[in-house]
Amino acid sequence: MNTSIVMDSKEPQEGIVLTPEQKKRQRERSIAIALALGVLVILFFAMTMVKGPAVLQRPI
Amino acid sequence: MSVLDHHTLDISPRISEAGVADYIALLKPRVMSLVIFTALVGLLIAPGHVHPVTAVTSLLCIAVGAGASGALNMWYDADIDALMSRTANRPIPRGRVLPGEALAFGLTLSFFSVMTLGILVNWLAGGLLAFTIFFYVVIYTMWLKRWTAQNIVIGGAAGALPPVVAWAAATGSLAPEPIMLFLIIFLWTPPHFWALALFRTDDYARANVPMLPVTAGPDATRLQILLYTILLVAVALVPWPLGYFSAVYGVTSLILGAGMLWLAIRVYRDRTGSAALRATRGLFKFSILYLFALFAVLLCEVVVSAAMRMIWS
Repeated sequence: MNTSIVMDSKEPQEGIVLTPEQKKRQRERSIAIALALGVLVILFFAMTMVKGPAVLQRPI
Repeated sequence: MSVLDHHTLDISPRISEAGVADYIALLKPRVMSLVIFTALVGLLIAPGHVHPVTAVTSLLCIAVGAGASGALNMWYDADIDALMSRTANRPIPRGRVLPGEALAFGLTLSFFSVMTLGILVNWLAGGLLAFTIFFYVVIYTMWLKRWTAQNIVIGGAAGALPPVVAWAAATGSLAPEPIMLFLIIFLWTPPHFWALALFRTDDYARANVPMLPVTAGPDATRLQILLYTILLVAVALVPWPLGYFSAVYGVTSLILGAGMLWLAIRVYRDRTGSAALRATRGLFKFSILYLFALFAVLLCEVVVSAAMRMIWS
């Protein structure tokens, strides 16, 4: 019996393997999260510009 | 071989196939659009100048907060949503989004919307938004909805708060005008949702939700619809003679109020057959137009008066 290890590129991957559909959805969700975070950053930047030095005055 | 079949011990993690559209559906976009519209009116009728960036930030936070409430509502109500034809296609009953995912999504958006509004605009608005989310999710969804036939009467307060939050965002304080807008939406909620419940009674009964037509019957519901409509029409008129809103608003409120009242009388009178169904559907649809038109008049007045000021200056 041949016990040598053959390096085959088509060897099944170990662990969780995503289907193309799952990969596509995951990518879509990642892009949506990135866009949401981008909007949040822009909002904070724009409001800082609008308020100017007053942004540091924060009465409780 | 193991006694237990390996299929029964499948502990492989579930890979989410939820798309962006499923998460958008969790936000209840139709409810969100009404919230944005009423909040916009609250924001624009407020005295003084609001910077456009502040206005956009406020509306975005209010919209996201409303969407977060919707996601948390769908998380908690997934069991009854699956039983009702109107809600069976929502992402959790369809299996597109897991309840835990909806919970995490709702909590994250709640946190960010409240904190962003508080930090960037003011903490009165942030606090009111937090209270709105709490009221809708905990008081209405978790407590009242499955417990009392008055669920939508008290729970309506959550839907009525967005213009108040928006006014607070614009001014940093409260005044009679946003309270009036609150009362109009608050009193509009029972006739609107009971009209819907009258032609969806079987749905609510199947899900064991104690809506008024299920617990008290259709006749008692028709009477309650008529009484709340009388109250709504009266309260929606009051800001005009008190001088808070203009004559254009007053006349619109009078004409549309007469229409609401006429349709509520038809719902009370026509109790059987296709006439009854027509009457309840008619009131349900007209109630949306009624609320939209009242707020649209206030919005138009602000836009027209701003345009006039620009022309004269």
